[in-house]
Order: sequence, then structure tokens, then C-alpha cells
Amino acid sequence: MEPITRGITPAQRTVPPLSRRRLLAAALTVPLLLGAAACGGDDEGGSGGKTELSIYWWGAEKRAELTDQALALYTQKNPDVTFKKTWQGNQGYFDKLATLTAGGNAPDIFQIDDNYISEYAGRGVTLDLTEYTGNGKLDVSKFPESLLKYGEVDGKLAGIAMGENTQGLVYDKTLLSKNKLPEPKTGMSWEEFIDWAANVSKTANLPGTQDASAVYQALWVYLRQGGKDLYAGKQLGFDEADITKWFALWKGARDKGATPTPDVIHEGNASDVSKQLVATGKAGTSWVWANQMPELKKSTDSELGVIAYPGDPSAQWARASMYFSAFRGSKHKDVAVDVINFLANDPEAGKILGTDRGLPPNLDVRKQVADTVSDPNMKQTIAVQDELGKKFGPNPPTVPPQGHSKVRSELVRVAEEVVYGRQTPEQGAASFVTAAKAAIGQS
Amino acid sequence: MAQMPVRPTDPASAAPAAPDDRGPGRRVRRRRENLAGYVFLSPWLLGLIGITAIPMLISLYLSFTDYSPLIPLTEANWIGLDNYRRMFTADQSYWHAVQVTVTFALVAVPLKLAAALAVAMLLNRTMRGISVFRGLFYLPSLLGGSVALAIVWVSMFNRDGAFNSFLALFGIEGLPWVNDPDWALSTLILLAVWQFGAPMVIFLAGLKQVPVELYEAASVDGASGWRKFVHITLPMLSPVIFFNLVLETINGFQGFTSAFVLSNGTGGPVDSTLMYTLNLYIAGFVDLDMGYASAMAWVFLLVIGAITVLLFNTGRFWVHYSDNEER
Repeated sequence: MEPITRGITPAQRTVPPLSRRRLLAAALTVPLLLGAAACGGDDEGGSGGKTELSIYWWGAEKRAELTDQALALYTQKNPDVTFKKTWQGNQGYFDKLATLTAGGNAPDIFQIDDNYISEYAGRGVTLDLTEYTGNGKLDVSKFPESLLKYGEVDGKLAGIAMGENTQGLVYDKTLLSKNKLPEPKTGMSWEEFIDWAANVSKTANLPGTQDASAVYQALWVYLRQGGKDLYAGKQLGFDEADITKWFALWKGARDKGATPTPDVIHEGNASDVSKQLVATGKAGTSWVWANQMPELKKSTDSELGVIAYPGDPSAQWARASMYFSAFRGSKHKDVAVDVINFLANDPEAGKILGTDRGLPPNLDVRKQVADTVSDPNMKQTIAVQDELGKKFGPNPPTVPPQGHSKVRSELVRVAEEVVYGRQTPEQGAASFVTAAKAAIGQS
Repeated sequence: MAQMPVRPTDPASAAPAAPDDRGPGRRVRRRRENLAGYVFLSPWLLGLIGITAIPMLISLYLSFTDYSPLIPLTEANWIGLDNYRRMFTADQSYWHAVQVTVTFALVAVPLKLAAALAVAMLLNRTMRGISVFRGLFYLPSLLGGSVALAIVWVSMFNRDGAFNSFLALFGIEGLPWVNDPDWALSTLILLAVWQFGAPMVIFLAGLKQVPVELYEAASVDGASGWRKFVHITLPMLSPVIFFNLVLETINGFQGFTSAFVLSNGTGGPVDSTLMYTLNLYIAGFVDLDMGYASAMAWVFLLVIGAITVLLFNTGRFWVHYSDNEER
């Protein structure tokens, strides 16, 4: 400090404080102004007849390509509307969506699935689309009723299904034919299937099947086959005895050598499609959704087949594989809904999107796509889903309640405890039921 | 400032006899100087307030609410101490995460410091190309918290990874280290220990400060290498050891990236790598329970603070400062 004051004449001294004060003022105001300008920019995005909608989805590169094309078609038909597109892989998608929402910057349109739709709808993030289906701005007349219903949370239409799928057991055809083994068939009992897989392990020297004990949609089908369900409204639809049976079934499978070693089972329990064991060549079958088969095919040279999960296939149901929802705080709600309507119903858009997100939700579009599709794997998927669709029972489950994604991760954790031999099926069942109740807030 | 009285030309120090100069004029000038100081500080100050202090206070408030990132802050319900009660009494995975984190810190920190000191002593000699070696040993910590490194680690310690191929040379069949609940945490510890570069550089600087005469005197008295290490190097180095210990302990408790990458963000297999911060992240961003996550963060802050205070208190017994008269 000393050098500043020394040797300065009084006349000189009067000037610097003023400029310092100005400097302070400037230092304080410049960031504020910049901030305000940035906010201003956001607000004015929609004026002047031009609208830019933000849209966000997860998926692989192929999905991005197809969605890009479909959105470009919309812009071509509605030159005033352009899109700010963001997409990424599955992992981390919902973390980012939650962060965007927390900052009040949720995209105008976002992809979501039944793991989280109740979380978002229950907290009022999604726009209730009932009004739009009522006034005809959103056409759902060609949707299967159960598929539309699967987007309803607490009586509000929270999302529009962009695809339909159902449980699909994908198996390695090449492996089986090479070893002259029979293919698995829809309608096999769980025990028959496990024996079949044990036989594959023995003959082909590769584990016959991924262990399904941690796969929630397999447990779900298994429960429904026994007259139970994963949920009954906002309560659990099963009890400890059901889970004990389920874990014991798979312990039996492991003892028979039908499944891989625990570390490989753990690898295959990753949610990533490309890590499924049938794609990485570490097991003969994987437990996925039927529409994922063409995506799995990309990671392997083997021919793949897809059938229903073991047991009675009527316990399966037409599930909305994913939805598009509109943000309730969007500044362009009507446009956002119109885009969703276009993606779901427009025949040209449907043709572009194909079955990447599942069977097209609009039955007319679905028929048209089925007639024109050329990819043999997609063809097979459509045929199998059509076939299974005829067998579905009359009481499909409703969309899972809040806490469902936690229930899923708890199932993986507990099932792996049992797989690694750290808990017996009974202990596992007890701790899973406790954890699942806590997750959905059931006392 | 201490030299001011010896400068008779300085109007401020010559002032005692002239009350005018000590009056309001001086105070105003002083205030202006302070103002200038704050202006120059302001970028940092704004950051501290806007990016650290205010969010921290908000998170303290949120820790008493049921806030979820999906709702506006104003809609969060006040639930008192429920989050804290749940943490301490009902949530088993919380205590599991505490146990994993403490294990990690207790093992990784001493090993890392030992490795850093050992390598620093090796590198503390004059030799051709020694600076190249120093650079090479520091390299892993430059890549430190990076995601890429953790990914490499996972592929190295897989069942069919490089480490098992190496073991196979000796006819040993390796384990699926990262996918085995008994070993996954050990691979994380190894990764942390391997990144010993930062404390190593600090040790190296500390070693250079130890007077050579002490070693020479000890040699004349016939002391062995080990005795010199115990009776000269360690005491002389103790302030540096203490500094590294505090830093690395805090770092150790905060380990996140490698655990996140290794377990795909789940803390698996079967929660064996569920570090405290990862558990907190899952609560806030996956389970959307941000109020609870905030409570976890505050307990974490207090515990790390307490551990640091504890370390400072024990330091009295084993840290020797050479400039004793200033203590």
C-alpha cells in the first residue's frame, strides 16, 4: 500500500478515487447486465413468428439419425418451427434431465419411460395432454387403448407412447445351430427353459442363459403368471414368499450350470443394450424388450431370434417402450403438442422412425411400416410382437408408481447379493421387500 | 508496514506530532484503498458468494425439506430433522457407504503417502535425467480424477484384463477383480495409491530443505541409513507429512469419479464400491431425493471438518517445526 500514496500530490489524489468508484460500479454492473441480457435472449426466442423448440432424447446414433430426419420433415412443413436437438446414451440421461428441470430449463419436449414418468408427472413437470386429446389437437384415435392408458398418471395424460414393446427373450441362433441344439419356444415353462439352458451350457460350452433374477421385467411376468403383480396401485403386488420362490428358481439354475459365473451375471445386469451377454457372446440368451433385438444384432455376428419369456405369454402386455412428454413450463406448449402429434401419427414420419422406439403407436402407421420394412431383424421383431399381441391377457398393468426406478435398482442389488452367495433366497426376499416398500413409500 | 517508522520522509509516519494528518482525511483515503482492494477481489468474491456461499446456505435449508429437483424450490416442504433421523436410524445403505468410505480412506491414504515418500526419496538424488523420472512419476496424478483413467483401470482388472494375462504368465488364474465384491474396493484403492504424484512432489520439495550437515554429522557418528531416516528425515519432514496427510485424508473421503465409472454409477457389485459421495449422488440425482442428499452433504462436511481438527490436534505431538520460537 505504501508505494501508492508516497509522492503523490494532493491534486493528483482527487482523481483516482472517483475512477475507482466507477471501476467498482462497472465491475458490479457488467456481470449483472450480461446476466440480464442472457435472460432476455431466452424470452425473445419465440417472438417474430419463429419458434425454436428444444427436444431431448436418449438412444443410439441410429435413433438420432431417424429422429433428425423426422424433425426436418416437420420443419419443412412448418418453416417457422426449428429444433434445438440434444441426445445422448441411456446412462446419465435422467440425471441430466433432472438437473435441467431443477434449473427450470426442462426441454419443451423430452423422451421419458415408465421408470420415471410417475416421478415427473406426480411432481407436475409434464403437461397434462388430456385437454389436447379432447380438442383434437392430439389425435389418439388410432392408438390401442391400453397403450394410451399406459401414459396416464393419476388421471392425467403425462406422455404419448412413441413405441410399443413387450418382453423379449433374445437367443443366439448361430450358437444353437452350430451345436445342433433345439431352439427355445414361447410357452416353455420356467423349469423347462432352465433345463434347456443347462443343456446348452453342457453341449456348447457357453452359459445357456443370463440369470434373470435381477431383471425386473422378468420378475414382473413371473409374478403375473402366478396371479400376482409387481404393483397393486401404489402398493407392492407381491409378498416375500413370491420373491423367495423367484430367487430359489434362479439359484437352482445356477446350481445346474445354466447361467454364467456371478461376475459375468453382474456385467450383464448393466442397463446398457450393448453389454447384454447375448451381444457380447458370453451367454446364449438375454432378457430384453422385443424391439431391442435389431439393436443387439449390431453388436454381434450371430443370427438372433426372439421369443416371449418362459411361462404363459398371456401374462405379458403391450408396454409403452417410451413416451414423448411436453414440459408444463414450456413457452410453446401448443407447438410442442403439435410436434408430438406429428411424430406419433404422420405416415411419412412413421415411415422414417420405423420400429426404432418400438412398434409405431398409431395402428395405421404400424401396418404401413410392417408392410414396407426391409430390415430382416425388424421384420422378425414385428412378426413376433404381432403374434404375442394376440395372446395378451385382458388386464395389463398400469404404469408403475413413484419410486419404481429405486425398486429396480434395489432388485439388482439384492439379487446380486444372492447370486454372489452372500444371502440365501429367503434373506434376499426379506430385504428386497423391505427395500421396495421403502422405495415406493408404502408403510 | 513494519518498516514505516524508519522512514522519516513518509508523511504518515512522521505524523504523530501533526494531528491533522491522522484525522478524517486519512480515514477516507484508507477506506478508498480498501475499496480498491475489494474491487480487485471482486471476481473471486462474487464467485465465493454466488457459487459457493449462497448455494451452501440453500442446501442447508433444503436438508430440512423434502425437496426434489423436479419441483420449484419454493414448493419444498419443511420436514424438520426427518432427513437426519432417516440417515442415522433407518437407512442401512447410508451406514454401508460410511463403512466403505472409511475403509477406503484408512487404507488408501497411508499407502499413498508411503508410496509418495518412498518414490520422493528415490528421486531426491543427483543423477543424469532425474527430472525426466520426476516427470514420469508425476504423470499419473495429472490424469488423476479423469474418467478415461478409471475406464482403463476397469479394463485392466477385468476377468480377461491385462492384469490377469500378466498373472497367467506365472500360471496363476486371476479373479474378476472389478466385478468381485470382495476385491472391487481394493482395485479402487490401488488406483488411488498409484496417483501419488502430488504428495510426492511436495515431499521432494521438503526433502530438499533438510540440511545436509545433519546427515553428515550422523554419518560421522556411525548412524545407519535407517536410523538417519527415522531420526533425521522423518522429524525434519513432519510438517510436510502433516500437510500431505490432511490434504489426502480430505481427498480420500471425497473419492467419487473412479467409483462412479467402475460401477456404472451404481456403487456395485453389491454396493462394494458405494462411496459416500456416490451414495449422495444417487440419492440426489437418481432417486431425486435432493433434500436427503443435502442432509448427507452437511453431515459429511461436519465430519470432515471434525477429522481435520482432530488431525491438527494430534499434530502437536508429532509435528516438529524447526522455527520453534515462533510457535
